[in-house]
Amino acid sequence: MLDAQHGAAPVASVRDLKVYFQTKRGIVHAVDGVSFDIRDGETLGLVGETGCGKSVTGRSFLRLLPVPPGIQAGGSVMFNGHAVCAACAGVGCGACGSTGRQAGRDSSVDLLGISSEDMRRIRGDRIAMIFQDPGKALNPTLPIGAQIAEVFFQHRTEELIALAGLPADTAGAIRRFASQSPRFGDGWLLALPGARAQRRQVEAALAKMVASALAETQVPNPVKLMARYPHELSGGMRQRVMIAQALACNPDLLIADEPTTALDVTVEARILELIRDLQQRRKTSVLYISHDLSLVRRISDRVAVMYAGRIVEIGATAEIFANPRHPYTRGLMAAAPSADTPRGKLAAIRGTVPELVDPPSACRFLGRCPHEAGACRSNDPALQVVAPGHSVACFIDHPAPSGERPTYDRVTA
Amino acid sequence: MTDVQQTRIAAGAMTADTAFRVRMRRLFGVLQGMASNPATVIGLVVIALMLVMAIFAPWILEPNSPDPYQMPRDWGAVRKPPGTPGHPLGTTNEGGDVLYGVIWGSRTSLQLSLMVVGSTMIVGTIVGSIAGLVGGWVDEVLMRLVDVFLSIPELIFALAIAAVLGPSFGNIILALAVVLWVKYARIMRAQVLQIKQHDFVDAARVIGDTKLNIYLRDILPNAVTPVTVQATLDMGNVVLIGATLSFIGLSEAGIAEWGVLVSEGQAGIASGRWWASTFPGLMIFLWALAFNLVGDGLRDALDPRTEGR
Repeated sequence: MLDAQHGAAPVASVRDLKVYFQTKRGIVHAVDGVSFDIRDGETLGLVGETGCGKSVTGRSFLRLLPVPPGIQAGGSVMFNGHAVCAACAGVGCGACGSTGRQAGRDSSVDLLGISSEDMRRIRGDRIAMIFQDPGKALNPTLPIGAQIAEVFFQHRTEELIALAGLPADTAGAIRRFASQSPRFGDGWLLALPGARAQRRQVEAALAKMVASALAETQVPNPVKLMARYPHELSGGMRQRVMIAQALACNPDLLIADEPTTALDVTVEARILELIRDLQQRRKTSVLYISHDLSLVRRISDRVAVMYAGRIVEIGATAEIFANPRHPYTRGLMAAAPSADTPRGKLAAIRGTVPELVDPPSACRFLGRCPHEAGACRSNDPALQVVAPGHSVACFIDHPAPSGERPTYDRVTA
Repeated sequence: MTDVQQTRIAAGAMTADTAFRVRMRRLFGVLQGMASNPATVIGLVVIALMLVMAIFAPWILEPNSPDPYQMPRDWGAVRKPPGTPGHPLGTTNEGGDVLYGVIWGSRTSLQLSLMVVGSTMIVGTIVGSIAGLVGGWVDEVLMRLVDVFLSIPELIFALAIAAVLGPSFGNIILALAVVLWVKYARIMRAQVLQIKQHDFVDAARVIGDTKLNIYLRDILPNAVTPVTVQATLDMGNVVLIGATLSFIGLSEAGIAEWGVLVSEGQAGIASGRWWASTFPGLMIFLWALAFNLVGDGLRDALDPRTEGR
């Protein structure tokens, strides 16, 4: 539909996603019919102002929304994962180009339809997520190493046993230890001399895996860092730890929900660089959620602009920024101040995002839009392809601006 | 430090038992915080003395009756004032040695408070966790049940239960356990609900952690602090309420228990025989005070936001 001209199967396709929330005022249509693809190895930037549904969309991939009050009202999120590379068991080797994944797709599942156990297996292994505030996303009562180790316990038990030099058919308390599913009394079993030695081997293997995951994020002295607690680290370091944890299993898809919003600008730049670097080396696809246009412009291959629960414009980053077609996108770009913006003047889009309780059938941007056609009042426009790989949801065909920025209501501060 | 050593330390940090050791180090930090508050230190010292007294009671004052928890009766020395040879703190109307009652009473009190606080803490934590984690109608039902229990004043509720069950020390323990678990359920539910909202719980879900693991590693360790504080405070309160119930005759007569002893001595106060009630009463006061001081100190040490006095 949207990217039919593109050959390779996308890593994920969202189709007509609808997520509603039950509130006292009625049903909020937080995400209302969103469709897009995330192509293999690309970074898709998802931009929009607060409350437009971008985080909800991102969280839908991992089914992280509380139900209730959330309502999965429809649509699908198809995920086409790679199989783990058979030659190196996901560690990364020459055969798979150090991605740890086989070239072909092995599965295609609707993330909204699978069992919660299947979802749990995908989480952290094939789809990972980084959160906005790394200070809140780490458990304050556990050392860093233990928190990263969790991923390996859950998804890399076999590799852990192999790396520890134990036979693949290792069973009993040691296997339960390596998958972190201890039974009552395992503590005593593991204290027996033979088991104790094996446990030490598993711990050493685990430490190696955790250290290499941390080393990937260019932290100084990863081994020392493992015994640290989150509160002992700076924000940038914590976010590196989160990234290490997220990318520990070489996921196919990384969902980054405003990962640098809580960080200062210099750290932000380095974290962005890190994500970009890791993404290019590992061919991970990234859904980068942000409200910061300039940031999205720097990091993403394609951009999707969300407004009031819908995607209003999607296309290649260069194309969108050179040639924004939707009045909202244009408004956003005009609103972003730059160094040469005169002092005291900020171009804001007039009005606020409409209440998403029982949204009208009219265009959701109606009332804030400087343009208006008859059709805007009765129908909400669907995405239309306006140029190769560039779709816009607007009835009025806005031609490419001729060098001049469009004029919007200016608010004098 | 060599690399090998560092790797070993880091490997250790990965697993439960050494994470436990690291947590102990944090506990040590909390204890240091408590040690900086003089009131808490006094409380700790009093508690330590009480514990020594309770644990070593058989060595301090050897029992000469088959049941050591029964007051020995010396009918030859009735209503003797403190300082009487063989009865340093005097005797009661019925020839009970006040010193024996004071010392063995600490043992009774320790039993009472440990059993009541232990059982209520476990039951309350489990019920509160279930309510907070499952939510929905399960939460509704459990919390309405808790509301019913909370609507009746503690003392009166415990009194009613103990009275129905009949006068016995065991029944006092049971009555207090039935009454007090609701507090822990309330606290735990509130904690679980709050901690469930934290990003790190979502982050744990995102890496594919199991629900049990998330509860045990992310929610429970972050939720137990207020429960611990409440438990410390209750160690004192339980003895206070227990003594009240004993005083009005809801435990067996003649048992070596502070409340019983106070009640045994109260008839003599008007005639100037102050000692039989005063010494056990003082013990009840010290016990409750000490645990309250430590409980407050613990709360301050665990929460940097509460201002220390």
